[in-house]
Amino acid sequence: MSAFFGRFLNILDYALGSLMRNFGKNCSIFILFTLVIFLFASFQLMTGSLTVLAEKILVTAPDITVQQMSAGRQVAIAEGAKEKLAGILGVKKVTERIWGYYFDEATGANYTVIGLTPPEGARDDASWPGVSEGRLLLPHDRGKVVVSRDIRDTLGLGDRRHFSLFRPDLSMASFETVGTFAEKLDLLTADVILMTLADARDLFAIEPGLVTDLLVTVANPQELDTIAGKIAGILPGVRVITRNQIRKTYNVVFSWRSGLGAICFLTALAAFAIFAWDRASGLSREEVREVGILKVLGWQTEDIILLRFCESAVISLLAFLTGFLLAWIHVAVFHGTLLRQVLLGWSVLRPAGAFTPQFAFADLLLTFSISVLPYLCATAVPAWRAAVVRADSVI
Amino acid sequence: MIIELESVNKIYNLGEPNEVAALHDIDLTVAEGEMVCLRGPSGSGKTTLLSIIGCIFGPTSGRATIGGKRISRLPDHFLTRYRRELIGFVFQHFNMLGHLTVLDNVTLPLLPLGVSPREREKRADALLSKLAIGHRKHFPARQLSGGELQRAAIARALINNPPIVVADEPTAHLDGQLAREIVDLLAGLKGEGRTLILSSHDPLVAGHPRVDRIVDLRDGRIRHADAGG
Repeated sequence: MSAFFGRFLNILDYALGSLMRNFGKNCSIFILFTLVIFLFASFQLMTGSLTVLAEKILVTAPDITVQQMSAGRQVAIAEGAKEKLAGILGVKKVTERIWGYYFDEATGANYTVIGLTPPEGARDDASWPGVSEGRLLLPHDRGKVVVSRDIRDTLGLGDRRHFSLFRPDLSMASFETVGTFAEKLDLLTADVILMTLADARDLFAIEPGLVTDLLVTVANPQELDTIAGKIAGILPGVRVITRNQIRKTYNVVFSWRSGLGAICFLTALAAFAIFAWDRASGLSREEVREVGILKVLGWQTEDIILLRFCESAVISLLAFLTGFLLAWIHVAVFHGTLLRQVLLGWSVLRPAGAFTPQFAFADLLLTFSISVLPYLCATAVPAWRAAVVRADSVI
Repeated sequence: MIIELESVNKIYNLGEPNEVAALHDIDLTVAEGEMVCLRGPSGSGKTTLLSIIGCIFGPTSGRATIGGKRISRLPDHFLTRYRRELIGFVFQHFNMLGHLTVLDNVTLPLLPLGVSPREREKRADALLSKLAIGHRKHFPARQLSGGELQRAAIARALINNPPIVVADEPTAHLDGQLAREIVDLLAGLKGEGRTLILSSHDPLVAGHPRVDRIVDLRDGRIRHADAGG
């Protein structure tokens, strides 16, 4: 064992003993630091998880969504436009969709109603969301719906399968649930009632021949933007949304919300740094005496700085690991309970599905860089102040 | 000569309103293996002189050579290095860390040298046994009596095997019998070839038969140097 390594181990050992001797003071710093790391790492892990989930969900999103605009607002589009779109070279399929929102006064929840005519063999179609119970819709189903587990709970269906919704004229439309969406798609389907196009038209009293969107599937994804441009040329006044734009929107939303979290984190970190500085810089008479004795016994200024550095490093590293581990458990086991409202919105129907924390070394490094390193820097000056206590102070 | 001081002056807070001249033109040489007692009332400069001999700080002017190293104008880093190579300290107030065990206190000077725990304990055991305090090595220092504390402090001073031992009023807080035991212990170090510099106004120390020389200090000046014992 070299003298250099031996010196380091000896001083580290002394630092551990010193931490234990000042247990109360160090414990409070450790708990606060752990809490700060926990918050930030939770945000990071949840954002990472949502981003990955969004990518998976985008598989079910249409290549191109076409909506009619009037006076800057979306209006119904005539089904007749379908033929024009189908005539564009490279377009594989065009599907009509009715997409609307239904406010349930009884529960205060907003449902997203999607009316689509399922293709034959929808079970094998990747663009159709999967179900975990029951079955998918069939092309000629009437009065049948697929809903999420959350909606079943919100409607209080229990073992029952039938429920009713109001049409605009306040007459009742009855539906039977034939399937429940797979939980892994909760982010997309938590508030969705999926029904046939005809049922949605009936529920919203949309005139025959009109739909809210036309969904375009292209043969070659590389030509997506080219075809989107052609659609905009052929149908002036429509809004053309590509899958990439939806992806960007997801990223912006999650990044924005994660950014809010980051601001909270930085505020907490700054408050903690002030606290840590205060605790570390306040040298008690006993501490001054201890440093004086160590120096008169032959400890160099750099030995005292190393001692203080070891104390800070042990606290911050332990807090970092504990905070990150707790964040992982919070996200993976408790589904990010404490922060999910911030990241997923404030709707009555929030995705209840589990988060799958994504381990990214870059995230770990980022958390380390903006927590442990600033802490070590914040405690460096107090460490130096302690280290320059004069040896003759104890003579 | 293991200690050579030539025209040494020490002024605290030089150039400031609270400037204090603590030592004036001190000339002192001490041979290897000598036991010297610095005597004088409070404020006479004993502790300042001990601090210079102990490489805690250098003089304001004059030449100080300790163990062959000229320390007059050395930065703190080198003073500390020479201090741990050359000097063992015994303090008036013991200066033990009460929350540490005797063993931990005694081995403190070895930590920055990278000495392994096993070697540290081996060296400490030998010294603590020799000073008849081995049975207390795992006790926190705050539980020890004054005599035990000073024995532990002597063990700590010797753990680096220094050629010079500096003791500042080592019997000030001990009663007669204990004080005699401690002075005997310190005097015994002379037999090991170590040089001892003690400051005291206790006649028990100055009158000890093994003291070679008594140096009287008054107002920061050497008034008189006598053969001791």
